[in-house]
Amino acid sequence: MRGALLIFKKELMEFSRDRRTMFFTLVMPLILYTAIFSIMAKLGRRNDEELKNHPSRVALVDPDKILTPLLTAPGSKFEIVAPPQGDLSKAILAQKLELQVVVEPNAAIRRGRQEPVTLTVTRDPSERASVLAYDRLEELLKASDARIVAERLASLHAPAALVEPTKVVAVNAGDQGRAVTKVLGAFLPYLVMMMMLQGATQHGVYTTAGEKERGTLLGLLSTALPRRQIIWGKLLYIFTMGVISALVNILSVAISYAFWAQPAAKSGNTSALANPLVLLLVFVLMVPLGLLFSNLILLVGVWSKNSAEAGTGLSPLVFIVLILGVFMMSPGVDKMSLLPYLPVVNVSLAIRKLFSQQSNTFEYLLAMTMTFGIAAYLTWTSTRLLNREEALFRA
Amino acid sequence: MIQVNDVCKHFELRDKKTRQKKRIDAVRGVSFRVSPGEIYGLLGPNGAGKSTTMRMMAGLMRPDSGSISICGISVSENPEQARKKIGYLSTDLNVYARFTPREYLRLFGEFQGLDNRLAEKRAFHLLERLQLSDFADVRMAGFSTGQKQKVGIVRALLHDPEVVIFDEPTTGLDVLTAKTVLDLLHVMKADGRTVIISSHVMPMVEEVCDRVGIIFDGRLHGDASPREVLDQWNVRTLDEVFFSLAATEEVA
Repeated sequence: MRGALLIFKKELMEFSRDRRTMFFTLVMPLILYTAIFSIMAKLGRRNDEELKNHPSRVALVDPDKILTPLLTAPGSKFEIVAPPQGDLSKAILAQKLELQVVVEPNAAIRRGRQEPVTLTVTRDPSERASVLAYDRLEELLKASDARIVAERLASLHAPAALVEPTKVVAVNAGDQGRAVTKVLGAFLPYLVMMMMLQGATQHGVYTTAGEKERGTLLGLLSTALPRRQIIWGKLLYIFTMGVISALVNILSVAISYAFWAQPAAKSGNTSALANPLVLLLVFVLMVPLGLLFSNLILLVGVWSKNSAEAGTGLSPLVFIVLILGVFMMSPGVDKMSLLPYLPVVNVSLAIRKLFSQQSNTFEYLLAMTMTFGIAAYLTWTSTRLLNREEALFRA
Repeated sequence: MIQVNDVCKHFELRDKKTRQKKRIDAVRGVSFRVSPGEIYGLLGPNGAGKSTTMRMMAGLMRPDSGSISICGISVSENPEQARKKIGYLSTDLNVYARFTPREYLRLFGEFQGLDNRLAEKRAFHLLERLQLSDFADVRMAGFSTGQKQKVGIVRALLHDPEVVIFDEPTTGLDVLTAKTVLDLLHVMKADGRTVIISSHVMPMVEEVCDRVGIIFDGRLHGDASPREVLDQWNVRTLDEVFFSLAATEEVA
């Protein structure tokens, strides 16, 4: 083990001599994410405020003036604009207005006959302002309809409960905090996996294929150090850099979240996130996952002739993890029975369940054992590969 | 002592046009023996099989057949033990540019199982000998090829190896430093170490080597003192031996 620790020391020394890499690994994420999150949060809030304070522009076609009084009443959050010339959809897409409402002809007569009046509303569901305008209109019409119904019932001397056969009382079992935890539980494993992989990849390529490319590996292999100890030392370094990278990135996201998240999102019970046992179990699970990634990087790095080849070889791995991460964030995916048996995915699943307080001991242990097993097999393969001369002198 | 017995090594390279594998017999049944206190020169043109033979001796490559032993230890069966006895230098070998020679050599001393202080002491002594001690605490990123080669020589000799395998040790060195390296080889010989070098610089070989083996097309042609080889081929310089060998090969 002494040899492995010496190799680890050598790798750390090399890292510590490169101030730029140190800065980009340890400091840059803290500055970058905090800055990006704060700018995004500020822009988001400003946009929300603007939307809330700004009246929705509606092109209204209302020959019988059924809707006009409602939209132009004092305190109304609507502004009546002239119907656009030409294509209406294009005008909405161009954000010249948010909605167009067309009230059917003879609406006053229909209303008098107590028949429903049809309103044709054109909106753009992809535009927040248009969606907000539609919600405002719905709310306004709901209140107006309620008044009309109440007047009609009163004229018939019927009780108001006549039109409300069922009354639903919704009681929240969880709170908003739990919902936030669940979202973070789906998002965090993905973030951790990506950060760990991304951080470990750069350092892994530098210390394996890079060392071959720079002609320094030959010197290392000509010493009395056993190959397996060289592999273990490099593995330990890649793993450490992956963990450090993930921790720095998570810390950065956490700082940004603490400072810039909406107060509503931070309120409530986020006990799973603050539960030391959950955090410990998550961290313990990250160990085999980190080892698995480190081993894959090591294997590709040892096999590759140079950094470019290693980088190309590792691209599919990054892509696979990216796809798996996105897949694991999909709602309802945790109900699939096959997932606990799939490597990497089962770690993500276990973390997700830990955060959503639905942890399953069997699945947790299975994820850990399976990942450790694969990582150990890959270490063995890398050692064998480094023992082969093709790893050094491949043409 | 180095004992090389009937060692063979081949490579397979893929032909880009035909997509077929091409067999290259790099070393074909090479045998020789180098005793303690002897400097053996392995000579030959590029691609003759010198470096492959030396890599096999250093345990970096495995022979297809035959055996190599270093101080009685089989390199194939016990490569780590054998490497403890070897100081290996090659032109392919580079240094860690972000380290200073002191840091680099201390670390390699530790890799070879040396105590930190002892490693530093030996390193400094050898750096002084190669006129590099003034640069002991300067990062090697800006070093010239010759300076890096000197650090490489110190690294190879740091653990006081019984067997020294130097592949082109004077490459990149100026005449004065090359002379210093040759003097160092003489000192190692006097200390009773087994030294094997390869080189293209024939006057140097003639000056330092007790015996030479000429490798051509993977085969060892002659294994005698430089004087005997010259007499055997009836030529004045070792370069002429290569020309004769090349001519023979063309006729064949």
